[in-house]
Amino acid sequence: MKKEFTLQTRREFLRRTVLGSSLAWTVPAFLANTFSALQAEAADSATQTATGKDASILVVLQMAGGNDGLNTVVPYANDFYHRARPKIGLKPADVLKINDAVGLHSAMKGFKELYDAGQLSVIQGVGYPNPNRSHFRSTEIWQTASDANYIEKRGWIGRYFDNACPGADPTVGVTIGSQLPQAFFASKPKGIVFSNPQNYRFLANGAATEESYRKLNELEMSSPAPEDNSGGSIAMLPAGMPMTGGRAVDFISRTAMDAQHSSDQVRAIAARVQNQAEYPASQLGGELKLVAKLIGGGLPTRIYYVSQGGYDTHTNQIGSQQRLLGDLADSVKAFTTDLKAQGNMGRVLVMTFSEFGRRVSENANGGTDHGAAAPMFIIGNKVKAGLLGHYPSLAPQDLYQGDIKYNVDFRSVYAGVLENWLKTKSAPILGRQFAPLPVV
Amino acid sequence: MLKPLSSAQWDFAKAAHLLNRAGFGGSPAEIQKLADLGLDRAVAHLLDYENIPDPTPKPDWAKPDPERMAKIQQAIRSNNAEEKRQMIQEQQQIQRRHIMELRNWWLARMASGPRPFQEKMTLFWHGHFATSVDKVRDAYFMWRQNELFRRLGTGNWQKLLIEVGKDPAMLVWLDQAQSRKDHPNENFAREVMELFALGEGHYTEHDITEAARALTGWSLDRQNECYTYRPFSHDNSDKTIFGQTGNFDGDDFIGMIVAQPQAARFITAKIWNFFAGQVPSEVLNADLAAVFRANGSNFKPLLRALFRSAAFYAPDIVRNQVKSPVQWLVNSVRVLECELPPPLVSWGMLRQLGQDLFAPPNVKGWDGGITWITTNSLLTRYNDAQALVEGQLPPLSAGDFGNKGKTNGQKAMKALQRVRMGGVKVEKILTPEERTDKDTIVAALEHRLFQTRLSSEHEQTLSEFLDAKTNLSNADILTTIHLMMSTPEYQVT
Repeated sequence: MKKEFTLQTRREFLRRTVLGSSLAWTVPAFLANTFSALQAEAADSATQTATGKDASILVVLQMAGGNDGLNTVVPYANDFYHRARPKIGLKPADVLKINDAVGLHSAMKGFKELYDAGQLSVIQGVGYPNPNRSHFRSTEIWQTASDANYIEKRGWIGRYFDNACPGADPTVGVTIGSQLPQAFFASKPKGIVFSNPQNYRFLANGAATEESYRKLNELEMSSPAPEDNSGGSIAMLPAGMPMTGGRAVDFISRTAMDAQHSSDQVRAIAARVQNQAEYPASQLGGELKLVAKLIGGGLPTRIYYVSQGGYDTHTNQIGSQQRLLGDLADSVKAFTTDLKAQGNMGRVLVMTFSEFGRRVSENANGGTDHGAAAPMFIIGNKVKAGLLGHYPSLAPQDLYQGDIKYNVDFRSVYAGVLENWLKTKSAPILGRQFAPLPVV
Repeated sequence: MLKPLSSAQWDFAKAAHLLNRAGFGGSPAEIQKLADLGLDRAVAHLLDYENIPDPTPKPDWAKPDPERMAKIQQAIRSNNAEEKRQMIQEQQQIQRRHIMELRNWWLARMASGPRPFQEKMTLFWHGHFATSVDKVRDAYFMWRQNELFRRLGTGNWQKLLIEVGKDPAMLVWLDQAQSRKDHPNENFAREVMELFALGEGHYTEHDITEAARALTGWSLDRQNECYTYRPFSHDNSDKTIFGQTGNFDGDDFIGMIVAQPQAARFITAKIWNFFAGQVPSEVLNADLAAVFRANGSNFKPLLRALFRSAAFYAPDIVRNQVKSPVQWLVNSVRVLECELPPPLVSWGMLRQLGQDLFAPPNVKGWDGGITWITTNSLLTRYNDAQALVEGQLPPLSAGDFGNKGKTNGQKAMKALQRVRMGGVKVEKILTPEERTDKDTIVAALEHRLFQTRLSSEHEQTLSEFLDAKTNLSNADILTTIHLMMSTPEYQVT
C-alpha cells in the first residue's frame, strides 16, 4: 500500500526538470541535492560530505523570551548583584556552586551533574556589538548571525546547509515544532518540521487515493525559475513581512515533495526505536525524546532544532524561571542518558541560546526587563568543560544602559561549533572569519 | 496615483479574487452576485457593511463580572491552600470554556455572518496587535478587544491606536497596567512604535524611555474590568520624544507617533501585505500612504481605493497568497457549503496548523505567507481536509490541546469522542447536470474550489481516479474533493 518514493520517479523528475534547465530553487530539495551531489563528487570539494549515519550532530536549543542569565549562572558572591536585586537575587544557599564566585540556579541539578562529569561548558557573557532589546530583532540577529545594523534574511543553519551539505536529504535539518525557525532560511531551503510522527503522513482511504495524492503532489511548475536563486527563498523583511521570490504555489509544491519523502522515513524510525530514559512530561522533554529516537534510528540529520518558551519574565520571575530552568536541566539530562544508552552520546552536541539576557537591576514587579549579554551552554562528551570566557563586570560604571557588556561574540561560538564540531569552514557561513571559540 | 481597474476588466475571476481577499471567499453563486454588481458596487457591498444588519448576539458572559473578580481576590488572599487551589482551578476551567466559545463565535461570524469584510479586517487587527489570552487570561477582555477591532477597525488610525492602548487586554498584555511613575514599564511604549505604528529604526531607545514616562497613568481597574486613568501614577515632568519636549501624556504620545511621516507608510505596507499578499514596492506604498493621508488617516477610504486598484488584480497578486489556517478553514466551509467543525475540533485544527485564534505566538503576531507551510502543516491540511469533507474526526492528539500539563489534553481527547462532524453533502454542491460524467464533475468542483482550471496533468490524475470507479458513488465524489484539497494549488488564494 505504501509506495516508496523510488529512484525511478527521481530520475523522471531529473529528466523533466533539472536536466532541462539550471538548478532552480523550485526543484524539490532532495532532487536538486541528488543532482548537485553528483556534480560535487566529481569536483574537488573542500567540505566534508554532510551525510551518513556516523556524522556529528548538533542540537540547537532555543530558550525563547530572553533568559535572565544572571539568575541562571549566578554571581552569588558579588555585592553589585545583590544590590541590584534585593528581591529576586539568589542567596549563596540557593545556588549549586561551581566555584567561590558563581553557581548554577538550584533548579539545574541535571546541569550540575553534567558539569561535574565534564560534559557541560558554560560560556559566560555571550552577546554582540550594539545589542538590540527587541525580542524579534535580537532573535533575528541570533538566527541569522548578522551584525546588529544589517538585515540578513537567511539563517546561519540555512547557510550551513547551502555551503556544506550538497546532496543531503531534506531531513538534514529537523525542527520539532510547527514553524521553521529563521535560522533555517536558505537559498535552497532544506529541513523538515513536525511535532508528532504518527500524524506526519497523508491519511488516505485506499490505495487508489494514495496513488492519486502522490501524483497530485509530484511536480507542478507554474513559472520559470528566477535567475538568481539567492532571493528566491523564504525571506523576511525588517518589519517581519514574509515574501517569496517565485510563485507561492511553487514553494508549496516543493514542500509537498519533501513531506512525502520524509514522512516514510520518520514514521519508520519512530515506530522502531525505543527511548531508554525517563523524560519530564513537558513540551521540551517531549521534543528531546523524539530527537533521541530519530538519532537512534539513524536519520541522516546534522542539525536538530528544539525550543522552550516562557523566559520573558517581566513579572514575578522567581517561580516561572525556577520551573523553566528545572525543566531545561531535567530534559537535557534525560536526553544525554538516553543517548548514552544508545551509544550515540559521542556524536551529539547540544547548544543553548536565548535572544538576550536581562537588565541587571530587577524591576518593580519582581521581574526583569530586556537586557543584553547572557551565558550559553554546550553539552557533550567532547566539550571543553568548565567555565569559558569570564563573567562580565556588574559594577555600575561598567554597565551600558543598565546592561552587562558581552565579552564573547556569539558568532565565535557558532564558528567554534562549525569548525571544530561540524568540521566545515565558518567564514563562508558567518560572512567573515570570527575567532572560533574552542568549545570542543 | 493609484490607478483603478477599468470596469471592462471586471469579471467572475476578479470578483472571486475580491471576495477571497476582502472576505473569505464563497460559493459560485455568491461570487456571481458580486460579478453582476460591477467593481464599484461590489466593493461598496463589502465595505459599507454598516448598511447590512448584523443580528449576531454577543456571548452571554461577555460583560464585566465583579463577582468573579471578588472570588479571585478572595482566592488570592485565602490562607487555605486547598480552597485556593480549587477556586483557581474552577476559574481556569470557566475561562477555558469561555475562550473556546469565543473562538467559535468569531469563526461563525467569518463563516456565515453577513459582514465578511468587517471580520477580515478584525482578523487583520488581531494579527497586528497580537494579544494572547495566554497572558491576558480573561475571555471577557479578549472579546472586548475583538469588538473594539470590529467597531473601530475601518476608522481613524489615531483613535484606534489610543483605544487599543487603553484596552484592558492590551493593558495586561504589554504590562501598561503595571507601569508607575517611579518604575515606568517600557513594554507598550516600545512595541507601539516597533510593531504597531512605525517599525524598527524610526525611534531611539531614548524615545522609548521617555514615552514610557508619558504613558504612566494609563491603567486598569481590575475590579470593574475597565480602563482607568491614575493621575498619581502619571509622571508630570517634561519628556523629550522625537526631538520635541513637553509634559506629554499617553494621548499626546500616540498623536506624535501618527504624525510621523513613517506612520502612514508603515501601516499601509502592512495592510497591502495582508490583503494583496505581497510586500508593496516603494512606489506603490507611497501611493497607498498618500491616499491614507489625504483621507485623514482613515482606513476605509484607503481600503476602497485598494480594492478598486488595478494593482490589486495584477497577475502576481491573484492566486499567489498562501491561505492562513483561518482562511483555509473558513474558506473551505464556505465553498463546500458545510458546517464549521465543533469548537473543540476547530480549535485543535487551527492550533495544529499554527494559527490559534486569541493566542498568537508572540507580540509580533503570525509571520504568515509561506511560513504557514511546512512539511508538517501541509500534511495536516491535507488530513484535516478529509475530516471536513468526509465528516470524520481529524487526527488530533492530546499534545494538540496545549502543553500545560497532560490533563487538559486528555480531557480534550475524551470530549472529542462525543463530537460529530457534519461532512459535505454532495447534492448541495453538485447539480444533477454537473454530475453527468467525470469531466463535468471535475470541472464543477474546480470552479467551486479554485475558480480556475487546474493543470492538465492534475485533471488527468483526477479523471483516472474517477475512471477506475464503476459506479460513481457520493463517497467517490467526496474523495475527489479531498484529493483536490490535497494539492499545493488549494493552499493558495
